[in-house]
Amino acid sequence: MNDLPIIPILATLLGGLAFWLMLPRGTARGRGVGALAMAMALGLAGSQMPRVGDWLDNSVFFILAAVTIVSAVAAVTFRNPVYCAIWFGQMLLGTAGLFLFTGAQFLAVATTVVYAGAILVTFLFVLMLAQPEGKAAYDRVSWEAMLAAATGVVVVAALSMIIGRTFAPEGALYPWLGMPTSQQLAANVLTPAHVARLGGELFGRYLIAIEVAGVLLLVALVGAAVIIGREKR
Amino acid sequence: MPYEVALLNNYLLVGAALFGIGLVGFVSRRNLIVMFLSAEMMLQGVSLSLVAWGRFHNDFGGQLLVLFIIAVAACEAAVALAMITMLFRRSGKLDAAHWQTLREANQPRFHEEPLPEEFGDQPLPWPRLTPAGIQPDVPREKIDYRPKV
Amino acid sequence: MPDIRTLLILIPALPLAASLTTALLGPRLLRTRSHLPAVAAIALSFLASVLLVFQVQRAIDQPAAPAAEHRAGQGRAAQPIGFERVYTLWSWAQVDQAMPWPDQNAADTYQPASWGNFRIDIALRVDPLTAAMLVIVTCISTLVAVYSIGYMHDDPGYWRFFSYISLFVFSMTMLVASSNFVLLYVFWELVGLCSYLLIGFWFEKPAAAAAGKKAFLVNRIGDFGFALGVFLLWTTYGTLDFHDTWIHFHHTWIQTSIGVLGQTRLAHPEMFASGGLATAIALLLMLGACGKSAQFPLHVWLPDAMEGPTPVSALIHAATMVTAGVYMVARCMPLFAASQTALVVVGTLGGITALLGAITAITQTDLKRILAYSTISHLGYMFVGLSVGTLAGVVAGMFHLMTHAFFKSLLFLGAGSVMHAMGGVIDTRQFGGLRRRMPITHWTFLIGCLAMAGVFPFAGFWSKDAILLALHQRASLGGGAAVYQGLYLSVMLGVVLLAVYTFRAFFLTFYGPERIPPEAGHHAHESPITMTGPLMLLACGAFGLGAYFEWTHGFEHFLAATPSLAYLGQRAAEPAGEAGAHWGVAVLSTVMVVIGLAIAAVLYLGSREQARRLARLMNVFGLYSLSYGKFFFDEIYQALIIAPLVGLARLCAWFDQWLIDGLVDAGGALPKWLGGGFRPAQNGLVQFYALAMVLGLLVLMGALVF
Repeated sequence: MNDLPIIPILATLLGGLAFWLMLPRGTARGRGVGALAMAMALGLAGSQMPRVGDWLDNSVFFILAAVTIVSAVAAVTFRNPVYCAIWFGQMLLGTAGLFLFTGAQFLAVATTVVYAGAILVTFLFVLMLAQPEGKAAYDRVSWEAMLAAATGVVVVAALSMIIGRTFAPEGALYPWLGMPTSQQLAANVLTPAHVARLGGELFGRYLIAIEVAGVLLLVALVGAAVIIGREKR
Repeated sequence: MPYEVALLNNYLLVGAALFGIGLVGFVSRRNLIVMFLSAEMMLQGVSLSLVAWGRFHNDFGGQLLVLFIIAVAACEAAVALAMITMLFRRSGKLDAAHWQTLREANQPRFHEEPLPEEFGDQPLPWPRLTPAGIQPDVPREKIDYRPKV
Repeated sequence: MPDIRTLLILIPALPLAASLTTALLGPRLLRTRSHLPAVAAIALSFLASVLLVFQVQRAIDQPAAPAAEHRAGQGRAAQPIGFERVYTLWSWAQVDQAMPWPDQNAADTYQPASWGNFRIDIALRVDPLTAAMLVIVTCISTLVAVYSIGYMHDDPGYWRFFSYISLFVFSMTMLVASSNFVLLYVFWELVGLCSYLLIGFWFEKPAAAAAGKKAFLVNRIGDFGFALGVFLLWTTYGTLDFHDTWIHFHHTWIQTSIGVLGQTRLAHPEMFASGGLATAIALLLMLGACGKSAQFPLHVWLPDAMEGPTPVSALIHAATMVTAGVYMVARCMPLFAASQTALVVVGTLGGITALLGAITAITQTDLKRILAYSTISHLGYMFVGLSVGTLAGVVAGMFHLMTHAFFKSLLFLGAGSVMHAMGGVIDTRQFGGLRRRMPITHWTFLIGCLAMAGVFPFAGFWSKDAILLALHQRASLGGGAAVYQGLYLSVMLGVVLLAVYTFRAFFLTFYGPERIPPEAGHHAHESPITMTGPLMLLACGAFGLGAYFEWTHGFEHFLAATPSLAYLGQRAAEPAGEAGAHWGVAVLSTVMVVIGLAIAAVLYLGSREQARRLARLMNVFGLYSLSYGKFFFDEIYQALIIAPLVGLARLCAWFDQWLIDGLVDAGGALPKWLGGGFRPAQNGLVQFYALAMVLGLLVLMGALVF
């Protein structure tokens, strides 16, 4: 194979190396290099991705994607779990932006409110309750950082390869079977009455599922209360 | 590449990256809460792909599935945090490796390597000032230790 | 006046109800009042038994129930003999055509409708034999239950005791009232269970627990024989009912089964099995009787059974349960009478047991153990009486059973009174001269001793005399006359020994210098009225009962109306009772008793130096040791039976532990070894598990990509 995708492979490997350097290994040495390498890897990867629409759309998408990915890397590699949680929140905001970008307005709001607003705050509560200092050894030493980074590389590489094959000219999706036209999209997913349609679907087709989800929430609430409420003997 | 296809492609790639990053975090980090955050991150990667595919198929199913994912994630977070709190009450740590006592009998322990000395971990010295008023009766170790944050 | 059926059901039902009540309410509610249900129920049972006897007597006096008369014309049944009533309450089990009709059947010449239909009916019967046993059992039980109120008063297991006693009375009354061999066997086992429970009543005491176990195991041997006998009866006769079964069908009575001891078979003696089969059946049944009634060679459990509370010894191990074997042999007398060999064996065993028990009793020092060996000896007398195989012999055996029940329970209760006063000490070497301290016990004990030794006119005299007379008459007939002559002589000799050991025990306890063991404390006084009352009542029985029945011939005539015994009376013409022979036997036995009494008085009334000298003299030949060591039966059994069995058990245990377990362990080791290879995978680190999941994911994706 002559057309070996050199740059994506390089980007993935570089990203893995950078990740290994950035993960807490009991020492701060190489973290800066790692961050630099990670930036390079992300840049390389971004350069290989197709453009989306005009320059404005394109810039918005890439900025959002960069925020998301960078926040994600930071959330995983920071040693202090409070910072991790805050970076994670930023990652969620980036995701919400991506949702908004693709027209899923309700999801964007839901992610922001439920995830970043409620779940993450709960995490922070627990963190504050459990670990006020953030200097524990287990935060400073990862478990098999190199193996973990290698695993990540393999998984991301495999996924990217599948995606790449799917969208390649000889791939499964070519010639874009079932691709919606903008009129169809405007009539359905991108309809101005987005929330109304979503709600209609939710309480029509998915009525039973939403009821089940509600019961599940109740059960989880009770279960959590029971678990946490048990007296320590 | 048409707009919709490019969008799908990019979203899938971003989702895959989130998934991979979360995976690495889950596998390598030992703090239970950070592990949990990483797992949520993987979930976000999947959500992104779902929304993108939903748009590509011009269908609300993807978004609705993500909505359910959020609901389930909320349940999961409630129960998991309760359990983490219990574990913390028992061990005083958020260390996942602490619970390797649940391993099969007669298996060797995961050995924690001795922590290398790190520059930033040295206790910060207190600024030396002239005494003002009566010296408060503070234990010695409290005086010596000053958190960074 | 309630009818026979009601009475017959009430007699066992009341004690059963009392037993359940006491067992349920005893530990919490009744506590120290636990005797109330038991005593009330047993006393009512006794009352019902007495009423039943009157009913039966009235029915005998006005014979020929219309139905029976009507039936007489049908089938092969002749005019019914004797009196019997059978009440089938319900059918417990029924298997039709359980056994095919054999082509060559020795016993029956034609096939009744239900031949081989295996059915266990809960059938109660009443005939004079049953009625007499019911009265004896419930009477003694009532007195013993009242006595136990005093004797057991501060025992922590008070409720348990009365629950067991009631259960025993239920079982025993059912045993004598059942009209089916299976039912008989069931209650035979149930009285054995009660015996076990009561011997081991103080189960914390190792000796008591061991004694209970021994009684149970030794009885098991006998019961095994009994069970085999029942199986043989089933294959021979095709039914296990005692009675015939008739059904009323289209205005005619049809006989559906011929009971083993039914009227039809009694009317046609050729329908009984004969020859070797009859001998086998009889001997197997006798094995069961040997176990239950403590006959040689299965007598070893009874002396140990004295570990139980004394009222239990009096009731179960002297008066009632141990006579179940005698009752069973008397009940099945036609089966025994069918084989002269079996009768001779019964008589020989009885004679050996009688002498063995008497000789052993002479040298024992434990008061209760002396009485236990005397019980063994007296049960031997009863079997000797039964072995005569004539109506007179059976009546003599049953008569002795009755008088023995009275005087032996009297003696045991007296011993219990002594034991109560002595603080649990029962060794005659540690006390003596108690006649002043315990006057009532002394006098009642004396009456019991006189009755047991057979002094004129006490009860034992008459019953023993009846046995001797029956033996004497039998010895004058042909067919094993020599054996009966020998039995007659050995019983005569036994009478001397009987008098000696009876009065030895009496003199040791109540005469000589007053000695009281330290365990007695302040207890050394006469027992309360609940204990002395039964003693006095029993003393009345032991004094007058024999003479009463002897003069009126009431017992004999009553029992003679039992179908299976009436059959005996019809079968063999009784030799004319010669008045001369009767007088000769009576005088001879009285002389023997006087000799024995004199020996006891000489040896034990004054200084006991002569007794010791005699013991030393006897020990020159090892005779004293032989008697004192109880003929070393326990040691012999230990060496010959128990030790080899224990060895075998050890071998089996070794085999099981090393070979069987080894194989099983090897089977278990393989998966363990295999699993050991995968064991490091479970290292308790969540991350490792996550990594394993990722590996699985990669495999899936690989399958997708390539």
